[in-house]
Amino acid sequence: MIIQLIIGALMIGSVYGLVGLGYGMIYKASGLMSLAQGDMLMIGAFLGMTFYKYLKFPFMISLVLTMAIMFLLGMFIERVLVTALLKKGAQTVYVILCTISISMILQNVAMFSWGSNMMQFPSLFKRDTVLIFGHKIIPENLLALGVGMFCMVAMHFFMTKSKFGTSMRAAAQDEMAASAMGINVSATKGAAWGIASMLAGGIGVVVGPIFGVYMAMGAMIGQKGFAGAVVGGYGNMYGAIVGGIFFGFVETFISAYLTSSYKDFISFAVLILVMIVMPTGLFKEQVME
Amino acid sequence: MLETIKAKRWTFLFAILTLAVIAFMLRERYLSLILCFIAINSIAVTGLDVLFGYTGQVSFGHAAFYALGAYGSTLLSIRLGLPPLLTIVLGSLIATFFGIIIAFPASKLVKHFLSLLTIAFGQMVYMFVSVTDKLTNGFSGIIGIPRISMFGYTFKSTQSNFYLLLAVTILVLVVKQRIIHSRIGRAFIAIRENPHAASGMGINVRYYKIMAFAISAFLTGMAGAFYAHLVTFISPDSFMNTQSNLFMTMLLFGGIGTVTGPVIGSIILVVATELMQSFISYQMLIYAFFILAILFYFPNGIIGIYDHLKNLAISRKNRSKLTPANRSLSNQTSKEAD
Repeated sequence: MIIQLIIGALMIGSVYGLVGLGYGMIYKASGLMSLAQGDMLMIGAFLGMTFYKYLKFPFMISLVLTMAIMFLLGMFIERVLVTALLKKGAQTVYVILCTISISMILQNVAMFSWGSNMMQFPSLFKRDTVLIFGHKIIPENLLALGVGMFCMVAMHFFMTKSKFGTSMRAAAQDEMAASAMGINVSATKGAAWGIASMLAGGIGVVVGPIFGVYMAMGAMIGQKGFAGAVVGGYGNMYGAIVGGIFFGFVETFISAYLTSSYKDFISFAVLILVMIVMPTGLFKEQVME
Repeated sequence: MLETIKAKRWTFLFAILTLAVIAFMLRERYLSLILCFIAINSIAVTGLDVLFGYTGQVSFGHAAFYALGAYGSTLLSIRLGLPPLLTIVLGSLIATFFGIIIAFPASKLVKHFLSLLTIAFGQMVYMFVSVTDKLTNGFSGIIGIPRISMFGYTFKSTQSNFYLLLAVTILVLVVKQRIIHSRIGRAFIAIRENPHAASGMGINVRYYKIMAFAISAFLTGMAGAFYAHLVTFISPDSFMNTQSNLFMTMLLFGGIGTVTGPVIGSIILVVATELMQSFISYQMLIYAFFILAILFYFPNGIIGIYDHLKNLAISRKNRSKLTPANRSLSNQTSKEAD
C-alpha cells in the first residue's frame, strides 16, 4: 500500500513541480506573475485528448504536438498581451489581473469547445495494473511520473548546457547586461512564457488519463503548483520541483492517513504558514520589499 | 442657495433623475432586489477600495471576508437566536478579526506574494465553509435566515430592505469620505505611493496596513451579513473566487480610489449580470473581457473617463481666454480643478 502512496505522491508532486517551475521561470524571466498556468495544464489535457481520441494520433505524437501548440500559445500571450500592457506603463498588479482574465477566457473557451462535462481518455495501456516487485501499480501513474521526471531533467540540461538556455538565465539575472552581450531579451522572455505553458500543457496530457479531463481541473493544480514554487523559493527552478514534491507528499499522506476532505485546506494552511515563517522558501529567494 | 443650485445644475439634474429611476424601480419586487444588490455590492467594493485603491494592498480573495460576515451573522442568529441587527455587527467583527490576522503576514509581502496569500486565504475560507458540514451545512447551504428587525419592525419586503440598505450605504460612503480626508487616509495614500518614503516620514506602515485590512474586512463582512439576511439563504457557491474577481472587476470598472467609483462599478456590473441571465455560461467570458478592456483602455475606470473628459472641457474653455501672459497659468488651473 505504501508503495502505491509513494508513487502517487511522486506523480502528483512532479505535476505540481512542473507547474511551479513554469511560474518560477516566468517570474525570473520577466519579473511578473502569471496565474494562468493551471489552465494551461487544462488546455493541454483537452488538446492531447482531442488528438489521441478523436484524431487517432499515436499518444507520443499527441503529446509532442500539444506541447508545441502550448509553447506557441504561451509565447503569443506574452508577446501580444503582456508586452502591450507593460508598454502602457501598467503596474505588476494589473498584469496579474490580466493573467486572471486569461485564465477565465481559457476556461470558457474549453467549455465552449469541449462542453462542461468530464471527458475520459481512452485507455493508453492494455493492462489495468502492472506488477512491479510484487506491487500493483497503475501504469498511467508511472507514465506521468516518467514524463515529469524527463521534463525536469531535460529542463536542467537545457538551462545549463545549451546556448539559448544559458542566455535565458543571463537575461533573467540582468536584462541590460544580457542585451549588451547581444542576447535577444524579448525572445528569451517570450520563450520563458512559452516553455512554462509547454510544460504545463505536456503534463496535462499525461495527467488527463488519471483524473479525467474537465474545465476546472487546472485551478487547484495551478494553485498547488504555485504553493510548491513558493515553498521551494519562488523563481528557483529546483526549489519549485522540491516544493511541488513536498506538497505531493503532504497531500497524499494526509489524504490516506488523516482526512481526505480537508486535504486542500491543510495544503493551503501549510502554504500560509510558510509564507509567514519562511517566505524566502527553501532555496532562499528574494520576496520581501 | 439658488446660486449653488444654478452652479451645480447638472449634478442636481442627475440626482433628481436617479431618484426618479429608483422610485420607478421600487414599484416592483425584482427591480427592488437589483437595487438592494447594488447597495450591498457598493458596500463590499468600498471595503476593497479602502484596501486596494487607497492603500495599494492587492486582495484577490476578498470574498473570504464577505463569506465570514455572511456565515458569522447567519450562524449567530440561527444557532444562538440573537437579533439580526446585533449579529450583523458581530459577523462584521468576525471578518475584521480575520482581516487583522491575515494582515500580519500580508504587511510584509511584495505585491506578487500578497496576491497569492489573499487567493489562498479566499480558498481556505471557501473550503472550510463547504467541508465543515456540522457547522455550515456544507454545500446544501443554510435556509431560513431571519430578516432584520429594528425596534419591533421587521424588514420583510424587498422595498423596505432597500431603504435600510440605502441608509447604510450612504453612511458607509460618508464614513469613507471622512476617513480618506483624515490623517489615516493620507497615511494610506502615502503607503500606496511609496511605502519606504512613507516610513521615512514617520508613518508606521505596519500599523496602517493592518488598519486598512481591518476596515476593509469590516465593510465587506458587513455587506456579506446584509446579503445573508436579505436573501435568507446562503451556500458556499456565492463565495468562490469568482466572487472575489467580481469585486475586483467592479472596483476597477468604477474607478479605484474614489468615493463614487465602487457605486458606479456595482451598478454597471449588477445590471450587466441581470441582463446576461440568458447567456449565463458566457458570464465569465464577458467579465474577463471587461477586465481586459479596463486594463488596456481605461485603467482609471469610468470615473477616470469622466475626469479626463472634464479636464478636456476645462482646458478647452480656458484656451479661449489665453493671452501670452496667462498661458502657463491656465495649465495650473486645469490641474487644480481635479
